[in-house]
Amino acid sequence: MKNKPFNLFLIVLVTIVSLWSLWPTWRDYSLSNQMDSFATGEDSLKFTLAHRDEIENARKKSLKLGLDLKGGMHLVMEVDQIDLFEQKAWNKDARFRAIMEKVRKQAANSNAQVIDLLSAEFEKENIRLSRYFYDIRNSDREIIDKLQKESEDALARAREIIRNRIDQYGVAEPVITTQGSRRIIIELAGISDENRVRNLLKGTAKLEFKLLREPEVLLRVLDKLNSSLAAQRIVPAAPADTADVRIPAGVPPPAPAAASKSAGPLYDVLTIMQNGNVYVPAESREFVVKLFQRSDIKALIPQDSELLLAAKPDQLQDGRNYYPIFLLRKTAELTGGVITEAKASFSAEGAQPEVLMEMNSEGTAKWARITGANIGKRVAIVLDGAVYSAPVVQSKIPNGNSVINGIESVEEAKDLEIVLKAGALPAPVRIIEERTVGPSLGADYIRAGMLSLLWGFLSVSVFMLFYYRTAGIAADMALILNILVVLSVLAGFNASLSLPGIAGIVLTMGMAVDANVLIYERIREELADGKSIVSAVAAGYDKAFSSILDSHVTTLASAYLLYTFGIGPIQGFAVTLLIGTAASLFTAIVVTREIFNFMLSKNMLSEKSFG
Amino acid sequence: MRIFHKTSFNFIRHRKIAYVISMVLLLSGILSLVFRGLNYGIDFRGGSEVVIRFDKNVEVGSVRAVLKEAGVSGTLKQYGIDRSFLLSTVFSGQTNELKALVSNAFNARFPDNRHEIVRIDSVGPSIASDLKWSALKALLGALAAILLYVGIRFELKFAAAGVVAIFHDVLTVLGLFSILGGLFTFMPLEMDQSIIAAFLTVAGYSITDTVVVYDRIRERIRGRKPSEYEAIFNESMNQTLSRTIITSGTTLITVLILFIFAGPAIRGFAFAVFIGILIGTYSSIFVASPIVYDWLKATKSSVRLRGGSAS
Repeated sequence: MKNKPFNLFLIVLVTIVSLWSLWPTWRDYSLSNQMDSFATGEDSLKFTLAHRDEIENARKKSLKLGLDLKGGMHLVMEVDQIDLFEQKAWNKDARFRAIMEKVRKQAANSNAQVIDLLSAEFEKENIRLSRYFYDIRNSDREIIDKLQKESEDALARAREIIRNRIDQYGVAEPVITTQGSRRIIIELAGISDENRVRNLLKGTAKLEFKLLREPEVLLRVLDKLNSSLAAQRIVPAAPADTADVRIPAGVPPPAPAAASKSAGPLYDVLTIMQNGNVYVPAESREFVVKLFQRSDIKALIPQDSELLLAAKPDQLQDGRNYYPIFLLRKTAELTGGVITEAKASFSAEGAQPEVLMEMNSEGTAKWARITGANIGKRVAIVLDGAVYSAPVVQSKIPNGNSVINGIESVEEAKDLEIVLKAGALPAPVRIIEERTVGPSLGADYIRAGMLSLLWGFLSVSVFMLFYYRTAGIAADMALILNILVVLSVLAGFNASLSLPGIAGIVLTMGMAVDANVLIYERIREELADGKSIVSAVAAGYDKAFSSILDSHVTTLASAYLLYTFGIGPIQGFAVTLLIGTAASLFTAIVVTREIFNFMLSKNMLSEKSFG
Repeated sequence: MRIFHKTSFNFIRHRKIAYVISMVLLLSGILSLVFRGLNYGIDFRGGSEVVIRFDKNVEVGSVRAVLKEAGVSGTLKQYGIDRSFLLSTVFSGQTNELKALVSNAFNARFPDNRHEIVRIDSVGPSIASDLKWSALKALLGALAAILLYVGIRFELKFAAAGVVAIFHDVLTVLGLFSILGGLFTFMPLEMDQSIIAAFLTVAGYSITDTVVVYDRIRERIRGRKPSEYEAIFNESMNQTLSRTIITSGTTLITVLILFIFAGPAIRGFAFAVFIGILIGTYSSIFVASPIVYDWLKATKSSVRLRGGSAS
């Protein structure tokens, strides 16, 4: 503190760097103001074109607003490791499935590593992991390591695929990071259609080509299910209970048929056509889907087959929506891995959106063989467990082309194109946390934040002037520099300012003057002891320093811990508090000291200057 | 201008009264925590919250009825901004469905009163348990760091008393949250991440206040006899009183401004910090230093403080 030229130099440097770092923000603000001020869109466009580089540059370097202020989505997605491990397992039997089910339940409610839960559960059951995973000669430890590696790879791959999907969809500056062993954090600003983004992100995009079983087999299986259910007396009133949430108002729930006329629990909700097609009405879809997932029902279906529903309902003659039901061979003939190119388009008849796909050479050869061998049969195109279409093979397809139809809208076709191009996720991902702020609320937050900043600054600075008179001016100047430093550090490090961040700044303003208060009170004491103004100022700074240091270190420590352990919004608060407190060590001590030195040298400071 | 100029309150002599007040505060807080518990926000219990804003005024009862009719389970409350409601439901991970259900119901029943879903927060149970753990870790970490730092800069008795004061402050605020939880519509006083941030802010503030008093004691206690400690403690507290009040004042002003202007998302936080700073200011005078004094008296030891002022 004795080295005056150095201190002065430091103050000037900090001020210049802060202003320089905030300059693009100011330019960005004034340029967009100018752009809005034009009367016609034409003028505005001309201006934009003329200043294009400048506008882009300013925008890139300006202080970013957080998702809560701009409006946007913060998503945390979790890779389903249990599904991943199940994919890796051999000869899965009932016991294995039971264990996995248990692990799944535990994992849903804890933040423990899935692999730890899994190995603990196997240990409890006294089964070696090698019975199901990898080689029988592997030790448990080796298998755990391998599975661990597998899940890390899966997470990295999932992140890349999700990044691809988002890039294809077109979002400005998405932030995609991984956290821990199974989570992906996605931050998207300025989303106009969140629903579409959610759908785009969560689909696994597992594409499969599967052969349909003969209609007679389907009917036989349904017969078996129906009579089994009838024996258990499962009343189809169940859909009204479990699915009432989904039924749009106005559609009467499926009336439970009177017991005497009932054709059986399943047949009551199904419609079977002359040609052997089976449909379920839209309102009973949930009931049937849940039914097909039951393990006792699965056991009644032939080992090599599975029952799936169509992705979209068909409208039948009575004007109501029905979902077709299919019985497919479980083993896929071909999977999405062979797809090299996907393109959203319209069908030859014109109106129907569809997606055209091309395959690599291996896929082309296989596809030619499959289609050649199954002429006259039906091949279903299944995406994420839903049947999109099941056309009859007319002839051998030699060029590796295939089409997905049964798509509702152009947007959906476009999204399918995106997910097919990006490839399938290694395992399903789920949204486990979401924070979405709409743009109008964001604007409210900005207004609220600005008001708080303004009033916070005004009240603290006026109070300091009022209480400490001349010395208050120095404290207020330090306060202004403090705020500048906080904002410029945020802008410089490309961090964003959120509402909690603004709260941090407002709070910092109240606490940052503490150093000044400590010094000024000390100077007052020294003056009261009869010291001259020069020695009182010197003694005040010297004696208050140790208090200031100790008190700042403790505040910094708690802010730092908040930053390390907090997530998302809380970090924004911790960051501004951290920068503000650290900066106040400099602004409140060095800056005010130099101001006083200057005033002392000009004889502008007297015993009365400290109020 | 001067407030508290040259005071000479005898804080140490009246410390027992302060102990009783603190005990009452703490006990009523703990009792309420045991019997009433806390309102956990979705951060810590998992769940979904949707904020819906209407263009025109609408009765909370009729909105509730429409949602019930549509089959949306959960609770609906008035939200702190105009014409807005907060719907809390269980977490499902299917935000699209929830949103469609709510939107369709309102569009059908309030066709001439447009609504907008302005915010959706949805936290799954595994994230909630994560958040709980990291909150606990942050709080304990902060206490340990403070104990360590103050222990090194002063001595263990001072550090321990400071941490006791922090506990006192945080527990009092926590108790108040339990007592007042759910009483106000404009601030639900739910435990969420922002309240943890408030606790850490309060902890940092409380120890700051305490350390300033300690620092003055350290400055004056060097080479003095234990019989003089009472006078030294009292004088130190009186000399720093003015600073204590002024800094609390400026900080309280800014927190009050946050409470008023920064909107409903910050309100619970601002409330917690406001109360915390009040209590923290009180505890640095009436809890931390008196405990050190009593401790020194009980062990009949003299103080060997490390560090010191820069002079």
